[in-house]
Amino acid sequence: MKKRRHVKKTAIVSLLLAASILSACGGGAKAPEGGNASGQNQGPIAIDWLAYNSYNQPSVDNPIGKMVQERFNATFNVWYIDPKSWDDNLNVKLGSGVMPDIMKIPNKQNIAKYVKQGILAPIPREMLEKYAPQYTKYIDDKKIWDQVTYDGKIYAIPTTNPDGEYPTAVVWREDWLKNVGITKTPETIQEYEAALTKFRNEDPDKNGKKDTYGMSDFAIPNILGAFGHPGIIDFKGNQNGVSLEFTKKGDKVVFAATQPEMKEALALLQKWYKDGLIDPEFVTSENSSGYWAHSQAFYNGRIGLTGKGAHYHWRNELDPSNPADKGGGSFEQFKKSQPNGTVALGKPAVGPQGKSGTPQWDISSMPVGITTKAAKDPRKMETLLKMVETAATDFDYYVAVRKGTKDVDYKLENDRYVNLITDSNNPEEKRGLNIFHVLVANDFYKKISGKFNYDYADKHFKYSGYSPVFVPPVDSYTKYLASLYKLTLETYYKIITGELPVSAFDDYVQKFKSGGGDAIEKEANEALAANKAGK
Amino acid sequence: MKQTAFTDKLVIVFAYTILSLLGLSSLLPLMQVITLSMSPSEVINSYSFHFIPLKFDFKGYATVLANENLWRAYGNTLLRTALGVSLTIVLTFCAAYPLTKKDLPHRTFWTAFVVLTMFFSGGLIPLYLLIKSLGLMDSIWALVLPPAINTFMVMVVRNFIAELPESLEESAKIDGANDIVILFRIVIPLSLPIIATVGLYSGVYHWNAWFDSMIYIQDGKKHVLQFVLRKIILLGNTAEFEMTGQNQNVTDVESIKMATLVVSIIPLLLVYPFLQKYFVKGSLMGAVKG
Repeated sequence: MKKRRHVKKTAIVSLLLAASILSACGGGAKAPEGGNASGQNQGPIAIDWLAYNSYNQPSVDNPIGKMVQERFNATFNVWYIDPKSWDDNLNVKLGSGVMPDIMKIPNKQNIAKYVKQGILAPIPREMLEKYAPQYTKYIDDKKIWDQVTYDGKIYAIPTTNPDGEYPTAVVWREDWLKNVGITKTPETIQEYEAALTKFRNEDPDKNGKKDTYGMSDFAIPNILGAFGHPGIIDFKGNQNGVSLEFTKKGDKVVFAATQPEMKEALALLQKWYKDGLIDPEFVTSENSSGYWAHSQAFYNGRIGLTGKGAHYHWRNELDPSNPADKGGGSFEQFKKSQPNGTVALGKPAVGPQGKSGTPQWDISSMPVGITTKAAKDPRKMETLLKMVETAATDFDYYVAVRKGTKDVDYKLENDRYVNLITDSNNPEEKRGLNIFHVLVANDFYKKISGKFNYDYADKHFKYSGYSPVFVPPVDSYTKYLASLYKLTLETYYKIITGELPVSAFDDYVQKFKSGGGDAIEKEANEALAANKAGK
Repeated sequence: MKQTAFTDKLVIVFAYTILSLLGLSSLLPLMQVITLSMSPSEVINSYSFHFIPLKFDFKGYATVLANENLWRAYGNTLLRTALGVSLTIVLTFCAAYPLTKKDLPHRTFWTAFVVLTMFFSGGLIPLYLLIKSLGLMDSIWALVLPPAINTFMVMVVRNFIAELPESLEESAKIDGANDIVILFRIVIPLSLPIIATVGLYSGVYHWNAWFDSMIYIQDGKKHVLQFVLRKIILLGNTAEFEMTGQNQNVTDVESIKMATLVVSIIPLLLVYPFLQKYFVKGSLMGAVKG
């Protein structure tokens, strides 16, 4: 009995061993064969592709995928990584030595880390100029090479976001303003205060109850902006997650959150909170569920001033050439909840020093890097750069990779590109769309996402905004950021609600500096100086 | 039936009031979800409780029910759970039963060896490397094999079997039963409660697990239900991706999310009442000497 068991065990162990050995041999990918970078008389090159927004499972087995593969003589193995846990997921893969060839870098601050870990390969400026001259010039004009430079070398291809040219919205309840006898949309901080006080005390919704407030968390950055660069631009943390803003003082970058002007701003907000102008529920955000730009408090007539959304969320002018147009997404929801309500798009509050602005998204978007695995084969870099250049210069190609095939995926109607397939179960990625444009978004992008949208934005969103101040990727940033962010958020909340006196701001600044703030500032300024010297 | 005293009645009324309140408190959120799943967006965005649907809009359900991925993920989860549970039961029992035998050579060493793995593990990256080099990536085995044996469960089962009276086995031996007969005719029937417990625990684990699916599975057709759900639930929660272009079609997804939740909860709601009695009984049987 005992003996037989022993035999069995040995058999199992040896089977397992054999299995592992076999699969280890079968699982290895062939090393790419380097060679001359012409690729004319060679077969298609295999590329592991992760330079797109992976909202849905992608597929290249479709007309668009075929077209791109033929055009660039390549076969794409498109990686799919769940965007909601991008970092967790990718880190496991990178940590175990598996990398794609081309990858998107959602968080630019990771560039330093990736370079140190030997994941990103440098992209020589000569290559860029040779294979993507137009696009290189476009980025030169936008002046965002700094963002992807580390130790004086370019490590990724920057992309742009045209929506980042416009500050975020300032949205008032127009009918409330009328009801409390205000005819001009408030512009200075005093006018703001007067309007918000009336919103609180004069029953702007005419329901006979004192159940309205002036504003909630979405408008706080707008008020902070009247004093200087807002220290925090996203109190709910769902717009760009954990991030702290920098601002320029002289020729140095410093954290915006610890500047003395923020203390002034917080003192004012604390007073407003005490007077009931700020909804006490701002701590849990006016966005209580669903899509991040929704403000349920505003839709339900609880507050009369909001923000955070972009121009395309709050567009309140309808396109006359499009009968189906309902305006921006947030505006549409507002009208559903308040059929009789109207909104006025205002301007950010002007403070005592004449400063004003709402947060503005970054014009520079997620860069695309090439990994050390791919750098072994010059053809891969060449292919990538050619793809970038084609997307930036060939409009028909751009439309194809973004919108698909005419009259199958989209139709043209008064110069508007109307999607024909809106079934969320047949997503664009499955049809090969939005995978191969390498996140390029120049004027082509404006053209296909609707000229009317951008004409509207040019008309109403031409006030000052606070764009993120550029800081080179530094190591200490990722190390201390989470704790500094938490500290800042807590302090701001506590001062606004009056739990801490305004004087507590000074202790906070001390804590912030010793808790890594100084280290980050020092490192960032050194890196900036090094970048300047390297030019 | 004896007359119950007044105080007893009082206690009963009190107890049932508390229990009903507790029951209600867990039922109301579910009602809220069900209501929202069939409401238009203006209702979803309005303040107040939504326990009874007043306006109907089944767009959410239409989208969910047409989503082939959801059904496929359903199938994957069912398959994974069935496979995982049966594997776990067999393997756990196979590991635990020998450890109860006093005549197993080096028994203490083997027990210690097994227990050691409870406290020391390689961590995520080595595990990932192992799965990768075993060639299990993108297959259901990557989801089923790593959690196939839970050491803690092995110990629970071992202790349970060890508590069966030894005289049972002896008397069976005297009646001429060999080891196999003893196992199948005596030990297993008596261990059914603990087997049910192990099955349930691992079933619940497999039904709810999504992280491994996210890491080991590339192919969208092979993902499990919870992972697909998670993606739908988190839709449009951040603006992160709008930095690379407007995402206009996610502004009205709340009803889709809720409908997805309802669709995925229903089978569990249907099955759970029938399983619960085993669950309660089994867990206790392992712990209480009886």
